[in-house]
Amino acid sequence: MSVKKRLQDVFEQTGSLRRAIVSILLAMVIGALIVYLQGDNPLVAYTALFRSAFGSRASVFQTLANSTPLIVTGIAAAITFRTGVVNLGVEGQLYMGGLAAALVGVYLEGVPSFLHVFLALLAGCVVSFIWAAPFQWLRVQFGANELVTTTLSNYVAILLTTYLVAYPFMKPGAPLAMTKNVLPSAYLPRLVSQGRLNLGFIIGAVLCVFVWYVINRSSLGFEFRMIGANKRFSHYVGIRVKRMQVLAMGLSGAAAGLAGAIEVLGTQHRFIQNISPGYGWVGVLVALMASNNPIAVLPVGILFGALKTGGLGMEAATNVPSELSDVLQAIIILFFAANVVFPSLRKESVLKKKHAEIAHPEEV
Amino acid sequence: MLEFLLKITTYRAALRIMTPILLAALGGAFSHYAGILNIALEGQMLLSAFIAVAASYYFGSALWGVVAGVACGIVVGLLFGLFVITFKADEFIVGTAINILAVGGTTFLMRAWFNVKASFSDPGIVPLPEISLPFISNSSFLGQLINGQSSLVYLSWLLVIALYVLFYHTPFGFHLRATGEHPEAFESAGGNVALIRYIASISCGAMCGLAGTHLALGYLTQFVLNMTAGRGFISLSATIFGNGNPLIVALASFLFALAESFSIRFQSIGIPPYFVLMIPYIFTIIVLVIISARRHTNELME
Repeated sequence: MSVKKRLQDVFEQTGSLRRAIVSILLAMVIGALIVYLQGDNPLVAYTALFRSAFGSRASVFQTLANSTPLIVTGIAAAITFRTGVVNLGVEGQLYMGGLAAALVGVYLEGVPSFLHVFLALLAGCVVSFIWAAPFQWLRVQFGANELVTTTLSNYVAILLTTYLVAYPFMKPGAPLAMTKNVLPSAYLPRLVSQGRLNLGFIIGAVLCVFVWYVINRSSLGFEFRMIGANKRFSHYVGIRVKRMQVLAMGLSGAAAGLAGAIEVLGTQHRFIQNISPGYGWVGVLVALMASNNPIAVLPVGILFGALKTGGLGMEAATNVPSELSDVLQAIIILFFAANVVFPSLRKESVLKKKHAEIAHPEEV
Repeated sequence: MLEFLLKITTYRAALRIMTPILLAALGGAFSHYAGILNIALEGQMLLSAFIAVAASYYFGSALWGVVAGVACGIVVGLLFGLFVITFKADEFIVGTAINILAVGGTTFLMRAWFNVKASFSDPGIVPLPEISLPFISNSSFLGQLINGQSSLVYLSWLLVIALYVLFYHTPFGFHLRATGEHPEAFESAGGNVALIRYIASISCGAMCGLAGTHLALGYLTQFVLNMTAGRGFISLSATIFGNGNPLIVALASFLFALAESFSIRFQSIGIPPYFVLMIPYIFTIIVLVIISARRHTNELME
């Protein structure tokens, strides 16, 4: 029995890996078709895409740099999904955390570098925790759908931060709304001499392992998973479901804030308006594709980062706009979610069969 | 300072702003009744807005813009149905993917077809014609308020009544609501849940198509990157507010539009624009919380 169970587990896990590979291949085929319709050679386009994503040491570093915000926002989204909570406000939380980190980076003087970096990152986490958690509280207390409220919160957060850097904290004379540069003591150290790859990537990778550990091996994670699996049962065995869900949303927000802080301290070295081209949204996709397994967020994040890097290289080599990468990401997720290729693995099919038995007993 | 509250143009603008929100929210009502939480309203609107602008530009006709915009909405609605109903994918994942596809896809197409990045405007884009209702004098109070709007504004009002009748006074409406309320029971009674859900998804797409078309050709006559700016979610809030009832959905859409119309006026009295632009979103969240709280208590009382 236990062997059979274990085999089933393995099958399910490789199943989702195979699903991922098939989804990627299908999306590539559709992408090739789009490139062809654009009047370009798909082979040339894809060669350029792969070469600029993985072709040299420098391009691999670039890919890892581009994947950093996606990994951290992916973790942010994955934390809540496990508890049956949906956080679609990752993008806005990233802005709030980024601004908080920038302000600590600019205005806190005379502290040693490691402390300065730590405090700035912490500020990003704390501010976004405080920003995110109330939306889940509104859900558990009043039933306001957190999917809708967190989505709307993105616009509020982006406008609020833009206001703050356009008026009170604006760098005088700057052409765009931005803060002053953060002090060098708050820079996240770069890992390579050329390019933007910085300590943020390592933080993201460690975070994946850490969150995996917390979710799968700690009592907090056990409660989270239990709530995700069966809310009512969790309530009856004494888990404070509402409180834990609010906590999950807050922690998710904190991770999103960390992503913003890393972007500010590692890459931009200031908070600037429109700092994120939708990292938060891609992070949600990353978490979905990783099937909410924090460890899987790392490779999926790198995959999407590679698509981003490769897309720019493809644009340089052909006439194909780099936004094809964004389209491909969405198509990959669609196929992955649909499970078109291995319908036998679909869990609902069992339910459906049951349902059919009840509905049409004579046919079964 | 607050004299704009008494100005007729404030309310006139609100009626115009309300239209895309209302159209998409009515589309959301189809999904709502069919038991689907469609968060792709936003993406469907954005894609349709782009296609409508492109068609209006290529064919030099606003009518073709409307046709193409609605056709685009129908295709995306069909796609949503295909993945959610036939392939049994999670509706939330599909919705999120469509929203992201819409932002990336419209940027991609804008660059591929028109070689511009942030926005596409051209004198060749034909806007929707503005019409006046012949039986209302232009100089009367009502005429000043509602005459001379784009044609889809009036269509959206007709649709409110038409959908009210459709949902509550036709067999289809009954089947639609049964599908959402109790799919198993409907199926046992010989109904076809999948078919009804497909019809709902496609209708929802068509309504979002109209909404996007109005957004792009009804008052801006251009396509701007991510121009829906969360309207799809404001629409979804209006749908939730009205629990699908077209009349209440219309009222909610008007409230949300009024908030936006007021916020535009606030800018003219010197409040920073970023602050002012937040108002519709914050207002929507507050309204959603209040309406949910009321339902929540009712559920607890039962």
